[in-house]
Amino acid sequence: MNEQPTPVVDVRGLGKRFGTLRVLNRVSLAVAAGRTLCVLGPSGSGKSTLLRCINFLERPDEGAVFLRGEQVGFVPQADGRTRPMTDRELARMRTRFGMVFQQFNLWPHLTVLGNLIESPIHVQRRSRDVVVAEAEALLDKIGLRDKRDAYPSRLSGGQKQRVAIARALAMKPEVLLLDEPTSSLDPELVGEVLVVIRALAREGQTMIVVTHEMGFAREAADEVLLMDEGAVVETAAPERFFNQPATPRARQFLQRFA
Amino acid sequence: MIANFATVLGEWRSLASGLVNTIWICALSGAASLILAVPVSLLLVTRRRALRAAARAGVDVMRAIPFLMLLFIVYYCLPALHVRLSSWTCGLTALIAYNTAYVAEILRGAWAHLPREQEEAGRAFGYAGLALYRRIILPQILIATGPVLGNQMITLVKNSAFLMVITIPDLTFMANQVQAIYFVPFETLLVAVALYWLICMAIEWAVRGMDRVAVVRGHE
Amino acid sequence: MTWSSLLADLARGALTTLTVSLSGIALGTVLGLMLALVRVGRVPVAAQAVTTWVSVIRATPMVTLVLLVFFGLPGLGIRMSPVAAAIVTILMNTSVFQAEIWRAALLDFPRGQLEAARAGGMTRAVTFRRIVFPQVWRASLPALVNEMTLVIKGSPAVAVIGVVDLTRVAVRITTVTYEPMRPFLTAAAIYVVVVMVLLRAQHATERRLVARYGTL
Repeated sequence: MNEQPTPVVDVRGLGKRFGTLRVLNRVSLAVAAGRTLCVLGPSGSGKSTLLRCINFLERPDEGAVFLRGEQVGFVPQADGRTRPMTDRELARMRTRFGMVFQQFNLWPHLTVLGNLIESPIHVQRRSRDVVVAEAEALLDKIGLRDKRDAYPSRLSGGQKQRVAIARALAMKPEVLLLDEPTSSLDPELVGEVLVVIRALAREGQTMIVVTHEMGFAREAADEVLLMDEGAVVETAAPERFFNQPATPRARQFLQRFA
Repeated sequence: MIANFATVLGEWRSLASGLVNTIWICALSGAASLILAVPVSLLLVTRRRALRAAARAGVDVMRAIPFLMLLFIVYYCLPALHVRLSSWTCGLTALIAYNTAYVAEILRGAWAHLPREQEEAGRAFGYAGLALYRRIILPQILIATGPVLGNQMITLVKNSAFLMVITIPDLTFMANQVQAIYFVPFETLLVAVALYWLICMAIEWAVRGMDRVAVVRGHE
Repeated sequence: MTWSSLLADLARGALTTLTVSLSGIALGTVLGLMLALVRVGRVPVAAQAVTTWVSVIRATPMVTLVLLVFFGLPGLGIRMSPVAAAIVTILMNTSVFQAEIWRAALLDFPRGQLEAARAGGMTRAVTFRRIVFPQVWRASLPALVNEMTLVIKGSPAVAVIGVVDLTRVAVRITTVTYEPMRPFLTAAAIYVVVVMVLLRAQHATERRLVARYGTL
């Protein structure tokens, strides 16, 4: 029997409404281990909502999300039904995702090192010495070792986002969720962040990246997903998507934005 | 007038004891009310409507009555309910209760102003409930409210003078005693005013120090 | 003691509180504006004196200040009745806080409008009267109403020098009837009502200002 390994992230039929507005319309996707999925689409297409529904920062109204086969946000019960997770259970599950926000959202009252070690020590309860050593190695990797004891207010946008990526990696996540990581950066700072993300993709970190950066998607993605008005328009490998888009809406999108 | 000042300075021991009392009363009340204000500010935003309404009513009433009124209520009404407290306990209780209401409201307001993204980032990294508040939200609120809390501390110091009315020997009480005994009212009370001014200057100096921290550790 | 006589006594005390407070506030607003103008105008020597004065009075408790005015000033030859001393104390106290409110509003005032006025040939006095003041008093209104609530809350200090305000009436009734709950709780309720009315007025003025002029 040909058994495919369980995808790291499996999204089935996700739907979400804000009032009367349908923000997500039966969205499905799957990301296998070590693969990078780039989610593209015009503003308002629901890309960010999709990402935030995956780690249940927003609760979807329909559909299900699975992390390595375990359902996110719900706990199976003895009678075969499921119940919603408590805040605490959800919090614990969220530590298996790493999230990088458009606005960085570093914690301003902690140093760079403090930001990296905060959750691993206090939520994941790992040993302080091990966590600090790993954090310093991560800082080396992103080239910010000398900013170890600086506060976020003293960093440039590009530096802050690199720290945010390191902070997410410090959790040793099974998948990294990046929500428009370069959209808030000045153009000359975008490059240093994309370098880091590209390296992660090459190293085999499972990632879902919502982005506007077509060049990056072309180079670094294993698969590209186009969204429009809350629904999936097309999913394909980047070579096919960018050169021979199958759907007319994908063609329209590429004409306008690529 | 110089001779009068000399008389006042001759009584420096009484004034010093009053000053010391004022300082430790305010330090103790300030610390206690800050600690108590944290759970009260949580009650002000809890989802349980009955608790929230009760906390809101309590804080609003405390912030609407004059402090001397609260002091008298504690001092005169509690004995009628068979609760007998010393004047010191009355004074401290009233001061702490009054200040807690104000600080709770300050903390609540600061939390409402905290960018939602901070809480979200905390949740995304596995924080929930009390841990989220204690490690992510509260530190940022305290940094943001430094100057406002400093002002509230100054208000506390000024309210502490009312304690002299129930014969607690604070700075104003001692100054009043000295001036009544030696008939040097202007000079004595002027010295008292100068000492209160020094206390407030010290508080403002501390606030400026905290402000420097806030600039680095606060939001851009 | 019957409810009607209790309320009658408290009402008389409340009237005293309001009269003394409002007199102090009215005079304090004018004095506060003058102090603010001296500081903003950077009048040599006077501005520095005002800054020190404001700093000291802001740090002084009401009780201490009222004792200084009533018992201390006679030492310098200035005698006054308890009620006069009460009004003077409230006036001194509120004028420095109002000075800060006015000062903040004046400093915040857009420079561009002053330049336009000068370019239009207006003198400083006319500019102040017709351009600056009409906007500044409206912008300061919420803060000024808030200051009024603070005056009411600080006013019981005058009971210490024998002014029969609402608080002192409550104390007197208690010492006579040995029954503290009714007079104090009723007096507290009266204070709460007065302050709540003022706060509601403050929010209403804020809302109307934002509606009319946008966020100032």
